[in-house]
Parts: sequence; C-alpha cells; structure tokens
Amino acid sequence: MAYKRVERMTAFMRINHWVVAICMVAAVVTGLYIGHPYYQSLIADPAVDKYVMAWNRWIHFIAAIIFDVSSIVVAYLYFFSRFEKPYKKLLPTPKNIMEFFLVFFNLITFNRTKGFDSSHGDSFNAVFFFVFHLLLAWMLFSGLQLYVHGLAHGQSSIGTWWPAMLHLATDWTVVVCGGTYMDVRIWHHMSMYFIIVWVMIHVYYQIWRTIFWQEGDIGIVIGGSKFVKEN
Amino acid sequence: MGDRREALAKMFTAKGGRVNTNRGQAYYDSLMDMMNRRLLELEAMPSASRTSIKSVLEAEGLNRRDFMKWASAATAMLMLPAQFTPLVAKAAEVMNRVPIIWLELQDCAGNSEAILRSDAPTIDELILEVVSLEFNETLMAAAGHQAEEHLEEAMKTFNGKYLCVVEGSIPVGTGKEWCTIGARAETFEDHLRHVASGAAALVAVGTCATFGGVPAAAPNPTGAVGVQDVIKNKPVINIPACPANPANITGTILHFVLTGQVPELDHLGRPKFAFGYRIHDNCERRAHFDAGEFVEEWGDEGAKNNFCLYKMGCKGPMTFNNCSIVRYNEAVNWPIGAGHGCIGCSEPQFWDKYAYERPMADARIKAPTGGVEKTVDEFGLGLLTAAGIGIGIHAAISMAAGKKEGDA
Repeated sequence: MAYKRVERMTAFMRINHWVVAICMVAAVVTGLYIGHPYYQSLIADPAVDKYVMAWNRWIHFIAAIIFDVSSIVVAYLYFFSRFEKPYKKLLPTPKNIMEFFLVFFNLITFNRTKGFDSSHGDSFNAVFFFVFHLLLAWMLFSGLQLYVHGLAHGQSSIGTWWPAMLHLATDWTVVVCGGTYMDVRIWHHMSMYFIIVWVMIHVYYQIWRTIFWQEGDIGIVIGGSKFVKEN
Repeated sequence: MGDRREALAKMFTAKGGRVNTNRGQAYYDSLMDMMNRRLLELEAMPSASRTSIKSVLEAEGLNRRDFMKWASAATAMLMLPAQFTPLVAKAAEVMNRVPIIWLELQDCAGNSEAILRSDAPTIDELILEVVSLEFNETLMAAAGHQAEEHLEEAMKTFNGKYLCVVEGSIPVGTGKEWCTIGARAETFEDHLRHVASGAAALVAVGTCATFGGVPAAAPNPTGAVGVQDVIKNKPVINIPACPANPANITGTILHFVLTGQVPELDHLGRPKFAFGYRIHDNCERRAHFDAGEFVEEWGDEGAKNNFCLYKMGCKGPMTFNNCSIVRYNEAVNWPIGAGHGCIGCSEPQFWDKYAYERPMADARIKAPTGGVEKTVDEFGLGLLTAAGIGIGIHAAISMAAGKKEGDA
C-alpha cells in the first residue's frame, strides 16, 4: 500500500500551536492561584521581596497578551492565509454541512464509515476550532474587563488611551454576565473549564484519529505533515 | 432584558472610568467664578434653619482651626485644588440655605444611625446637623396628619429647590403593599414619586436606596429596587455602602451647594470623587497581597501580622469606594484595618455576590436549572469528569468495536 505525504500545518502554525498550548497551561496554573491562592508563601523574606501574587499575575497577563496577539493573527489567517483559509470550511454551504456530518458520523461510528477526504482540513475540525476561538475571544474580553479595574485612575504607563479603549471594548461583558464585576469574574473562571474540556476532547480526538485512521495525524503538529493512502 | 439593554446603552455613553484630578487652570478659574456667584446668591437668601455651623461647632467645643482643617480635607476629597478651601468653608456656612427632605424607606436606618450615633461627632456629621432638614421621618417630632401637612408645606415652599435624600429600598414587587407610610397608607413607591416630583435632585444614600441592597437580596420577597430604578426623570446621585460614609454624603451635598449641580458620576451613578478607585488600590495591606501573604484562618499568625485578607473573602479588588482613604469615625479605622475583609457593600447585588467569607473563586453559583448552589470549581470538576467519562466510553467502544484502517 502506497502512502502519500501531505502538508497540513506550516511552520508558523505549529509554532503558534505550541506557544498557545504553553500559554494556556501557564494561564490556568496562575489563574487558579489568582482566584484562590492555593499555596503558601511563608518564607522568611519581607513582603517586598517575595512578590508571589504579583508574579502570578504578571505571568497570567503575559500569557494572556501572547494569547491575544496570537488570536488576532489567527483571526487574520482565517481569511487571508495563503495555506488554507479556514473560513471557507466554516460557511454553511451544502458541501460543508455534508462534510461536517460525514466526519461526525465517522467519530460516532468508531471509524466504521469514512466517506470523506481526510487529506485536507475538514468542516468538522473547522467548526470545532471555531468554538475554541470564540472561547478565547470571550476570555480576552472578560479578562481585560477584570484587568482594567486595576487602572481605575484612568492612567497607564502607555497613556490614557489604553484604559479608555479597554472600557469601550469590554464594558459590555458586565451587562451580559449579570450586572456586577463579580459575575464577569465567575464567568471568566467558568469559561476556563469549558476550555479545558475542549482541550481534553481535542487531544483525545487527535490520538484517536492517529490510532484508527492510521494516517499519522499526531505528527502534524510536530512535523507539519501526515500521510494518506494513494488510490 | 429591557433593563439590561438600557444599562448597556448607559455604559457606552458614559465618559469612561477616568478620574481626572487636574483639569487645568482655565477650568478651575471658571469653576471658582461660578462657585463664588452661587455662594453669594445663597448667602443673600434667608436661611431655612436657625442652626448655623458656628453655633454647632461652639456647642461641641470645636474651634475655627478644627473647622478649617476639615475644610481643607473636604476640598481634597472633592478633588479640588487647595485654593478652593475658603469656598468649601463658605459652603458649609451657607448650607442651611439648601432645604433637604429625607425619606426613610425599606431599610434598617443604618445610614441615619451612622451619622447620628457616634459619641464624638465629626465635622462631617455636624455639617449634616446644619443643613435645613425640612422633613425626616426618623428624626422629626411630628407624627401622623401633622407630619404629612409639614411635608406638603415644605414641598410647596421649596418646590424645585430641595434635595430629596432617600434612605432604603423601594418595594415594587408583589410585596409592595406591606410597606406603607402615613395615615393614608401611601406605598413607599407612591411616597417617593410624590416627593421626588418637586425635587431639584435626588440623593440615594446607602446601598438599599442605590441598588436595593439587603432587601433586594435573593429571593427579594418585596421586589425591592433602588431609587434610580423608580425615578427616571430627575438626576439621581448614588452614594452606596452599608452604611454610606458620612464624609461622602457631606461631600455630595457640599458639591451641590457649591455648584448647584450634581458631581461627576461613574456608570453606576456614584460620585467619582468617592467611588473612582477600588478599596484594593489604596489598601494598607496591599503589599501582603502582592507578596502572597494571606490570613488563612481567623486569629492565625498571618492575622496577627496584618496579612492580606483576600483568602478570608476580602472583596477589595472588586469594590469601588474610598474607605481605604477616608475610613470611618474621623479616620479612626475601617473594616480591613479592624481585621475583616471588605464585603463589597458599595457594589450592586453585594449581599448575594460579594458578602461571603471565602475567596472570590469560591463564590457559590446557582446551576442554570436552579437547585443546589455550587462553586465554579465544583461545577468545573463535574464538567471535566463528564468529559473524561465520555472520552473513556468512546475510547472503550472504539477499542472493542471500532474499525482500524488496515485491519481485515
């Protein structure tokens, strides 16, 4: 049986994937600490030296800002990528809807039916990742709303435009969540679990595909390519 | 939904959270001219009450120097430059020209108590003694028809000029008939609408009057709401907190006396001079927060060392108020100074969403279907378990019955 190598992720996409993965672990670990400090810092240094909460918040914000920049780049690539334009797979055309269900049936029939071409990105994957990008966008807006409270004076090291812009861009989250800052916080925290669930399913699905499709899917995110049978 | 849409529209028209403490010389010059004219006008008017700040201060054994010290502090609190101090002092002297009608609705009278019950009254509290309190349900000697007559007369005499101070929430739900006032059994809502109709502006004092407060806590049996939800056609200044700090009440009334206008408000209608910053921003224990040094249980080593109260449920990082700067009882102390975290009493829905002695992440939330309250983490772990079980089942069936490419 002859196999053909197909490229599925460019070098930039793979780097982006791992940067985002590391940022997510960092954001979860530090975010849980910010919400409920779960370890003690009773070391003999005075308060000004240890700065444990401050470092946790710093890592959380840096992870978030890298995440945010990556999201903006990914949003751009949705439409303008020279490799594959994901938006084309998101449009609810009859062809895409058909493909979505064929891939979904493949999953729930445990690979007993496989009526689609698995050599390129499919609509099911495109929708699945779109859900993730929506969750990320939500974390971005709700997180920046929580962050801007710390700039209550309306100043920042880069000028007054920054908090003003954040207010304009994120104040709607308060109303949407239920009217108080605490609601935004609760939803920001809860959305973390939705993202973790998404990650669990994502990792499982990649492993499952590798085992059952026998096309080397797990290698995509490292080597950039997989293998499909030649007819 | 309509309320939410309205709140959304309000947010986008708000001028943002910026607290501008330096508006430039030209602005302050014109402001000073305007205030001077306003104070001259007020001075020419007959005083509505016989009490003057001078006599009240003398009775308490306070001298002019104490008064001027207070005036400079009040000027700073209102975020005005130091040259406004004489104007603030003057405003306190002519305050008895501004008539006030004080309504007491569904609450515990805690705001009145906070002002009246201190054993050594601060000048802020004395100032409130000087204002021309035309009508106050809690304090006045008159009762029944006599009190009602008095109210009508005051409303007629000072029509369009008086400040209506409201303490307590307004029941508008099915339980509103439990709360009536006077011989004609007027509901609180009708009473407020009636008095508000002739007011220049309304000042909602305390969290009940601003956001419904404790009476509006779940399940809100009376359908309690704040003044701003009932009165839509008049300026409403919100001074939340439980109780509202007398300094903030005085500051707001002073601002009205000085300018005849409402002070700059944030998106929740709270004066920015008092609610522009979080408790957390100016907290004396902030260094311990940044260091990760927390009180773990009441009376532990951390508590003895004034560590941060975040893990004991302090809501300072989410609460906008000036307690950490102004404090209470002439700056003697405040909750965090006394070793208890902030309960977010100046935020909307504080009783349901802020006032628990647990870290923020341990807030209990209702499941979408109602029922048992869980923390976000409990809910999240349930979600992860469900996802894990689903994945496990799918993996097991795939192993047993799935078709692997290349298999026969």
